[in-house]
Amino acid sequence: MKKIHILLIIIIAVAIGAILTTLNNTSTYADFAEAMKEPESEFHIVGKLNKEKETSYDPQADANLFMFYMIDNKGLEKKVVLHKTKPQDFERSEQIVLIGKMQGEEFHASDILMKCPSKYNDGKPQASN
Amino acid sequence: MEYVGEHLWIGKLGNIFVILSFVLALLASVSYFFASRDNDDAASWKRIARISFRAHGLAVFGIVATLFFMLMNHYFEYEYVWHHSNKEMPMRYILSCFWEGQEGSFLLWTFWHVLIGLILQRSAKNFEAPVMTVISLVQAFLASMLLGIFIFEYRIGSNPFTVLLREHPDFANIPLFKSENYLEKLDGRGLNPLLQNYWMTIHPPTLFLGFALTVVPFAYAIAGLWKRQFNQWLKPALPWTFFAVAVLGIGILMGGAWAYEALSFGGFWAWDPVENASLVPWLTLVGAAHLMLINRNEGQSLFTTFFLSILTFILILYSTFLTRSGILGESSVHAFTDLGMSGQLLLYLLFFFAMGMVLLIINWRKIPKLKEEESIWSREFWMFVGAIVLLVSSFQIIFYTSMPVWNKLFNLNKAPLKDVVTFYNNWQLPFAFIVTLLIAVGQFFKYKHTDPKQFIKKMLLSFVVSFVFTGLFIYLLNFNKGYYAILMFSSIFATVANLDYIIRVLNGKLGKAGASLAHIGFGLIMLGVLISTGKKETISHNTSGKSVESLGEDFSNNDNIVLTQGDTLPMGNYYATYIGRRSEGINVYFDVDYFTKDVQGNFQKEFSLAPLIQMNPRMGNSSEPDTRHYATFDLYSYVTYVDLETINEKKEATADEYVPAKNHNIKQGDTIFSSNAIIIFDSLSTNLSNENMQLSEEDIAVKAHLRVLDVKGQTYAATPVYLIKNNSVQPVASKVDELGLQFMFWKINPETGKIEISVQEKKSNIKDFIVMQAIIFPYINILWIGCIVMALGTLLSIWERIKKNKRTSN
Repeated sequence: MKKIHILLIIIIAVAIGAILTTLNNTSTYADFAEAMKEPESEFHIVGKLNKEKETSYDPQADANLFMFYMIDNKGLEKKVVLHKTKPQDFERSEQIVLIGKMQGEEFHASDILMKCPSKYNDGKPQASN
Repeated sequence: MEYVGEHLWIGKLGNIFVILSFVLALLASVSYFFASRDNDDAASWKRIARISFRAHGLAVFGIVATLFFMLMNHYFEYEYVWHHSNKEMPMRYILSCFWEGQEGSFLLWTFWHVLIGLILQRSAKNFEAPVMTVISLVQAFLASMLLGIFIFEYRIGSNPFTVLLREHPDFANIPLFKSENYLEKLDGRGLNPLLQNYWMTIHPPTLFLGFALTVVPFAYAIAGLWKRQFNQWLKPALPWTFFAVAVLGIGILMGGAWAYEALSFGGFWAWDPVENASLVPWLTLVGAAHLMLINRNEGQSLFTTFFLSILTFILILYSTFLTRSGILGESSVHAFTDLGMSGQLLLYLLFFFAMGMVLLIINWRKIPKLKEEESIWSREFWMFVGAIVLLVSSFQIIFYTSMPVWNKLFNLNKAPLKDVVTFYNNWQLPFAFIVTLLIAVGQFFKYKHTDPKQFIKKMLLSFVVSFVFTGLFIYLLNFNKGYYAILMFSSIFATVANLDYIIRVLNGKLGKAGASLAHIGFGLIMLGVLISTGKKETISHNTSGKSVESLGEDFSNNDNIVLTQGDTLPMGNYYATYIGRRSEGINVYFDVDYFTKDVQGNFQKEFSLAPLIQMNPRMGNSSEPDTRHYATFDLYSYVTYVDLETINEKKEATADEYVPAKNHNIKQGDTIFSSNAIIIFDSLSTNLSNENMQLSEEDIAVKAHLRVLDVKGQTYAATPVYLIKNNSVQPVASKVDELGLQFMFWKINPETGKIEISVQEKKSNIKDFIVMQAIIFPYINILWIGCIVMALGTLLSIWERIKKNKRTSN
């Protein structure tokens, strides 16, 4: 066997490893109902902020605690406890991805991703003064 | 309707340039194709080709000039101008406006291709025709991205000159356009505030020059395969390839520097898909460039050299596709939105990919291969291994980054990992270890065969020195991550061994030390990354003494500190005081002073930082960090939350009003906090007969005794009363006017023994505060020094190579 063949086998093994770890990662996008079935596992939940309900953030009591209500893509609403500061421009978010676990009736999120198409696209031509 | 003040002529002019640039690029490509054939007509075709490429270049310059003119004169009737600029913006950001949009960035790319093409026309000699065929074809494809014409309902390209704001489908029914004077009142939407930064005026052009330069090894590789000149293309392609390595590398690092200086990512590298997409082609390019070196000397690994040169350009196209198709939308913070051109981009990518692969396959047997196997004691063997490691490393990165693509292709539903940084770090560490190790030993290997004894003798000193240094660093820095320690060793080894090579082998001749310097730079970069991220420390833990009640242990995210105006809180080795806010233009700065305590316990002011928030009502506010640089560490800080609304109210005359109440359910002995006091619930009493309340038999009255302690330790008493009178709850408030507090007693729960108390504060009580994060990055300067050394080393070696090429060809 030539050295090049040994090298090739190692490469293929590593490449397969890279593919498998990528595909095997357990997190998938889910909704609240799925997260409730498995309170032990971490989920990525996509949804929208319920703008009708109050959000609560009191940084002087706890800067790393922010609560709001989110409606997932199936229409189910849950209270969300985010263990982070309130993100900038939170109210403008169009879509939210939460990362966390269900605890009872609340979803405890350790991280949040927001999609604010507004940042790049929003704004219509307006007359300025 | 006749609109007043529109400049429609300039759009028409720009559009003519666009069409010309496309047609001329096609013409150049076709005529270069015929010029490359070995017949009598070739010479006249070449004349046509040269002229049409130069004319194409002029047309591209024309497009650039026209677009600049429109931006500078605020012609907001054009959607592109309106979209990316406004009147208030300083002129120096006009450049950023130019390439903020996709059209502009494609234009920038095309512009660099033109310059490169013009140089190649003069320098490529025998290769001119085939190489320029490829480049002109690439140009035709890129120029078509600006066409903005419809073919069978499908739009080809997006043209900044033909899209008028009032005709844009999104804004068709806006009443503003019913007025013929609409331009008088119109201002542009403005540039994304994140891009209003000096890095943003130099990072994109550099990065795009790097992108553009990868077309040279690609075009030469295609030309080599096509004209069956399997070895001859390497010599002219080599300096270009290393130049591309240098420029693309600098461009990527500038992106990192920008992220560090201007974005609140909390670091310079986040393994963000957009960053990965430009890193991966750089890795394959480095592989290709090094294989070219051994080919030049020994004629080996030719097939892999072709493959990597072609792959790099394909990866550049792929990265453009990833960042511009909107497909990364959910996984990246700074991907572009879709302009409806992703299909077109994909088509180009597949076209050039197929072109490269078909040529490789049909030439598979003809590409010269070495009969003998390389010796394990030869430089070429290890350089080949290094290139392969780079390929595998880039495969891992791009495969994971492409997750959204796999999701779409195979209908999967995979979410990115929560901690992608650790995932990538763990995967890439072994690759980085092997690569840095190879960098250390590489130049000590000779081509063909090295005497093992000699080799070991030469390496021994640097090995021992590096070992000692690693031990020392681990001890001094208290570096407790064993897994990373092996990379620390190999990075130090790479630095020391190459230094040794310059001193002992090259006898200090810096002119020949380009490669070694570049390798030292790379070693330092890795070392800087390792130490600054491995030992990075968030010092902004919440030390305000206010409740940090966390609901779950998994979530003890405690990286933010609340700084109330005037308070001084310990933070790492410092004490931080929030001084206040000030506005300058669209920026609001938050001044924070940092103190240390001397032996006597006196505060000594060290420095001030002013992280800022950029206010932009149309595009959202963005937080920008401020960093204090020291030789041995950086203190990086940014504001994570600030109340931008109530603070403005505070200054108004309503200071005597109370803010909405806050409810607390408390047991006897519990403590609650207001902004200026600690409140302890001591007891309840029911004996209220002697008070003037006119209670009847059925009425209930309970008094709560609260002890209120202010910051100075002064005690006040508050006694709100819970009262049910005539069957309705009528609580009696109790005030502490000195502290601006008001208490109400709302409920008693006899089962749990808890009562509900609401606390209201006067608006004047509320002090300004910020929530902030501060991170120490130790020895991050090693990283920046490494970047500079690597860039200088690479440029030096290119310089040497060009001089050598000239000598040998004369």
